[in-house]
Amino acid sequence: MDLGALRRILEVSSGDPDDARRRQLLNILILGLAVLTLLTILITGAVTASRMRHPDPAVLMAFLLSLAALAAIVLVFVINYLWSGRIASALFVVMLTVIITMADEPSEVVNGRSVFLFTIPILMASVLVRPWAGFTAAGLSSAVVTIMALRLPGYIPPAPTMLGFFAFALISWLSARSLEDALNELRGMNRELDQRVENRTQALREANEELARANERLRELDRLKSRFVSMVSHELRTPLGAIQGFAEMIRAGIYGPLSDKQDNALHRIERNTHRLLNIVNDLLDQARIEAGELSIHPEPFAPEALVEDLETTVGVLAQQKGLDVTITIEDDLPCPLYGDRDRLHQVLVNLTNNAIKFTDAGGIHVRVGRADGDRSSHWAMEVSDTGPGISEKDQEMIFTPFRRVDDSVTREHMGVGLGLSIVKQLVELMDGEVTLESKLGEGSTFAVILPLGDPQRRDS
Amino acid sequence: MNDRSAMIIEDNEDLGIIFAEALQAAGFETRLVPDGERALAQLKESVPRIIIVDLHLPHVSGEAILEWIRSDERFDESRVIIATADPRMADMLKEKADLVLLKPISFGQLRDLAARLTPAGSED
Repeated sequence: MDLGALRRILEVSSGDPDDARRRQLLNILILGLAVLTLLTILITGAVTASRMRHPDPAVLMAFLLSLAALAAIVLVFVINYLWSGRIASALFVVMLTVIITMADEPSEVVNGRSVFLFTIPILMASVLVRPWAGFTAAGLSSAVVTIMALRLPGYIPPAPTMLGFFAFALISWLSARSLEDALNELRGMNRELDQRVENRTQALREANEELARANERLRELDRLKSRFVSMVSHELRTPLGAIQGFAEMIRAGIYGPLSDKQDNALHRIERNTHRLLNIVNDLLDQARIEAGELSIHPEPFAPEALVEDLETTVGVLAQQKGLDVTITIEDDLPCPLYGDRDRLHQVLVNLTNNAIKFTDAGGIHVRVGRADGDRSSHWAMEVSDTGPGISEKDQEMIFTPFRRVDDSVTREHMGVGLGLSIVKQLVELMDGEVTLESKLGEGSTFAVILPLGDPQRRDS
Repeated sequence: MNDRSAMIIEDNEDLGIIFAEALQAAGFETRLVPDGERALAQLKESVPRIIIVDLHLPHVSGEAILEWIRSDERFDESRVIIATADPRMADMLKEKADLVLLKPISFGQLRDLAARLTPAGSED
C-alpha cells in the first residue's frame, strides 16, 4: 500500500506548523471515524435490507444516523481542508458528543457504560482546538448529561460525573499545553540550528571562493615560473654552448698546442661548464614537464642502444672514484623495444650518475632485462649501487623536485636536486614506474619498469 | 657545385665560429652568413655542398630558407643541416632536412658529421 499517497491526502498545507499538525491529526481521526461509520452503515444497511417488510426501528435509526454522521464527517473534512482547522475541530468535537449521546440507551448515557465515552471529545478538544477547549467540551458534555437526566424519570443530574469531566479536562489541558510548549521549544531550536547551518554554509562558501582565488593566483605564479625558468634556461644554454664549443676547439688543438697548465685550466673550464649545463638542462626539463610541454616519442630500438655510450658518459666520474660500472643486457628481452630512446637514455644516465655520486667504494651495476616477478608484460632498467643506502623516511621524498636527502651530504655532490624527480616524471609520462629498494648501509637499487610492446598498437 | 664549400647561416657569432671551425677541420671551405635575407641572396649565386641553417634568423627565418632550398633543384646534391634548440621544431623538420641537430651542438660532433658528408671523390 502506498503510504505516501495516504500521507498526501491527510496532510494540510498551512503557514503555521502547529495548525498543520492539528489539522493532519484531525484528518487521521476523521479517517478512523469514517471507517467505523462505513462499517456501521454496511451492517445496519444489510440488517435493514434483510427485513425489508418489518424493519427494526432501532436498526433503521442507526442506519440513518450513520449516514448523517458520514455526511458530517465529509463536511468536517472539507472545512478542515479548505477553510479552518479550528472550526472543523470544534465541529468534530460536537459531532463526537452527539454520536456518543445517540449511540446508546439514554440511561446508559446519563449514568452507565457510555458516560465515560464523553472523555473522548474532551481530550480531542484539548488536543485539536486549543488546550483550554477541553473545559468547553466538558461543559458541553455536562449540559448533555444534565438535560438527558432531567428528561428521564427517576434520574438526577450526576454531579460527580460532571466533576470528573472537568477534572479530565484539567488533565487534558495540562498535557496538551506542555506538549505544545515542548513542540514550540523544539521548533525554536530547529530554527536556530537552521540559522547556524546557514551561517556556517555562508562562511564556508566565502572561504571556498577565497581558496579558489588563491588557487588561481598560485596557478598563475606557477605558469610564470615555468615560463621564466624556460626562458632563462634557454638564454643560459646558448652562451654555455659557446663556452663548451670553444673549450672543445682549444682541446682539439685548433688554436695551437697546449701547455700543461693551460690543459689543466681548460679541464676545469670544461668540467664546470658541463656541470652548469647539466643543471640548466634539468631546470629546462623540469619546466617543460610542469608546463606539460615535454612529449614522448616512442620508436623501436635495440636494447643495446640504451647503454651504447653509457660507459663513456658516466665513465670519467666512476674512474675518478675508482668504481666499477658493470652492464648486463639479458638475452630474453624482446628486440626491438619500444620507447623514447633518448629520454630512456637520459633516465638511465641520470640514475647511473646519481649512483656514482653517492657511492664511494664498490661498484654500480646496470641491468636491462625482463621485469621481476609476475610482470611478464614489462621490462626493466635497474641501477644498483653499493652506496650508503637511503632511509625509509628519505625514500618518500627523494623523488620530489628540489628536495634532496640530507643537504649537508649532498652539497658536495652538486646539482639542484632535480635528477630523480625528472626521472620519475619522465618514466610516468612513458606509462612506467620507478621503484626504489634500499637499506641504510646496504646500497640502493632503482628500477624503472616499463610496458613492453608497441604503444601505438597497445592503444588501438 | 664546389664539393668543398659550406655555408653557415647563423646569427650568433660564437656558434657561427664554432660551426665554421668544425667544418674547416673536416676539410670544408666555409662562409658565415648571419642574416636570412643575405643568405638567400648568396644562395642565388652559389650552391654549397653543406648548408647549416639556424632556425631563428633576422629578416628571413631558417624554416623559410629550408623551404626555398627544397624548391630549387640546383640544391639536389646539397646537404642541409638544421640547427635548433627547440626539440619540437627539430621533430617537425626531421623529414625536410638532411639532418637536424639539437643545440648545443658540439664542435667534435659537427666535425665528424661533416667529415662523413665529404664525397669520396673529393679527397684529392
